[in-house]
Amino acid sequence: MTSTLQGITLKGSSELVADFFSFGINSILYQRGIYPPETFSRVTHYDMSLHLTTDVKLKNYMNNVVAQLKEWLMECTVQKLVLVITCLETNEVLERWQFDIQCDKSAKENCAPREKSIKAIQDEIRSVIRQITATVTFLPLLDTPCAFDLLVYIDKDNDVPEKWEESGPRIIDQSEEVRLRSFTTSIHKVNSMVAYKKND
Amino acid sequence: MMAEGEAEWELSKENIQPLRRGRAISALHQALSQQQEGATAAVNQQRQAFESELRMYDGDDPLGVWDRYIKWTEETFPQGGKESNLSTLLERVVGKFTEEKKYYNDPRYVDLWIKFAASNLEPLDIYRYMQAQGIGVTLASLYIAWSEEYENQGNYRQADHVYQEGFKQFAEPRDKLLQFHKALQARASRHALMNIVEDSSDDESKQPERVSLVDLKHRGKKKAIAPIKRTGAAIRCVSGGLQSHGAPLRNNTSNSQLVIFDENKAQSPVPSQSKLESWRAPPTSKAKENEQRPEKWCDVKMPPKSKFGNVVMAPPPPKATFQPFVEESDQPPTMTPCKINPSVNTVLSARKPTREETPLKRLQDHQQRRETEAGKPPEQSMYCKELLLSGAAEFCFEELRAERYFKKLAQDIRTSTVQSSASPEN
Repeated sequence: MTSTLQGITLKGSSELVADFFSFGINSILYQRGIYPPETFSRVTHYDMSLHLTTDVKLKNYMNNVVAQLKEWLMECTVQKLVLVITCLETNEVLERWQFDIQCDKSAKENCAPREKSIKAIQDEIRSVIRQITATVTFLPLLDTPCAFDLLVYIDKDNDVPEKWEESGPRIIDQSEEVRLRSFTTSIHKVNSMVAYKKND
Repeated sequence: MMAEGEAEWELSKENIQPLRRGRAISALHQALSQQQEGATAAVNQQRQAFESELRMYDGDDPLGVWDRYIKWTEETFPQGGKESNLSTLLERVVGKFTEEKKYYNDPRYVDLWIKFAASNLEPLDIYRYMQAQGIGVTLASLYIAWSEEYENQGNYRQADHVYQEGFKQFAEPRDKLLQFHKALQARASRHALMNIVEDSSDDESKQPERVSLVDLKHRGKKKAIAPIKRTGAAIRCVSGGLQSHGAPLRNNTSNSQLVIFDENKAQSPVPSQSKLESWRAPPTSKAKENEQRPEKWCDVKMPPKSKFGNVVMAPPPPKATFQPFVEESDQPPTMTPCKINPSVNTVLSARKPTREETPLKRLQDHQQRRETEAGKPPEQSMYCKELLLSGAAEFCFEELRAERYFKKLAQDIRTSTVQSSASPEN
């Protein structure tokens, strides 16, 4: 990343995508009010103002997840990352943010950097995060205390590391689904989607 | 196609009113695309369908139609506004079923009331009215909405009080009420905590203001002491000292024959309602202070401007205290004798002050009228007035007739097809 500004390697791509998840998940947690707003601080990244948590526990958790995710991104074994928002009392799934990750596995053998500028990638990432913010226009109000969970789908032959446990998909039945924008680093492609409970 | 749609909701995100229950994305897409193309024909058609359904419905749940109609309106007009007609609809529906006791604790009806309250200037009045009438008093949603309104106004104590009231009434579902009450308490304590933090940070501004002038000393016989504190009642209670000047002033009033308004003594009005009494009288609409009535623009005159650009109100012409000199040769103008008894003449009567019209007031008037009409011999319109005016829009006879005709036609076709399908078997 330092030598060629124009190209992108597997490592750089992994870092970019992991960064995106770090900021994206923080944004969702802030926008959806999972944590109180005063536990977030504003930072400028991707030329936009974003919120990062200052809660120590949550920060550690996020760092762990993102570090692990980066590894998986390097190995190109990760398929999906899902953020599930559940009602604290009833444990019912209210919202499900799904990020599908398509890895170009040929990048593992072929080390030549791909032609895509960081600026172009960041532009794409920015529009995804903007859209995440804009979803408040149609998402239902979360009027109960909520918790969140992160699910990561990886290829079957990989071992589950410690501190991670297997889980079901936790799909919402009777849901509305909205596809959001996607972005690609030309090695990893991330498609975003949010599903929420349909209320009538 | 999906990609375009996505861009669309994002582009008009500021024009979409968030709904508590969220929006169905397909309906949102449709509404936004229709807006762009200006395809109002389809919307009008659907609205007409709802309107006629309101009139033609003869089942035992008329509220259902209204409920669907209003939900459709919310989805179809994401930006709200006048053309959605939502406020009229809400007013109609809550007024329509005030007689129907069976709906009083129907969650749909209560939700409509809450929406009506939210669209109103004084939601608290509406909630109090609902309580007085017994609408939704056994439902948790009333207390939650009510408390949230108090909380929005920063009145945590009242917000808590409302929940207590809900528990007293055994509002259902109790779990939900408990859960929301807990959440409120958490927010309230956090709020209190934050306040303490803020207080300690800017302690100095909270100090009582310095008093820079002392009391004036009285001279001679007069015992009047002019109050010198000009900061109002709020500061006065903080500073604590210098409160003695109120009493001498009152002693003095017998002396000077004049009651002097003491602005320091005048209590600043406390806006919070301290008690949860139920009331029946229409509320005063004090929120509508500077509201302008709609009027024709061509009738409005600009007030004259002085050369400094300030608007100068022309002083009312003072009544002449002197007799204007009239030339003796001048004939008094021949007056046409007034044939109409001036006491009866109402052509130029003084304009009655226009009453402030709030939706709640209209509602109460409507009810009162109904009550008073019950005593009088009923006035009967010899046409189906109720049907024509029941929806948000007015219908004409032909529309109703057409509706009935098509219904009958559809029925006839159905029966004839049943017959024709039945006949080959026989």
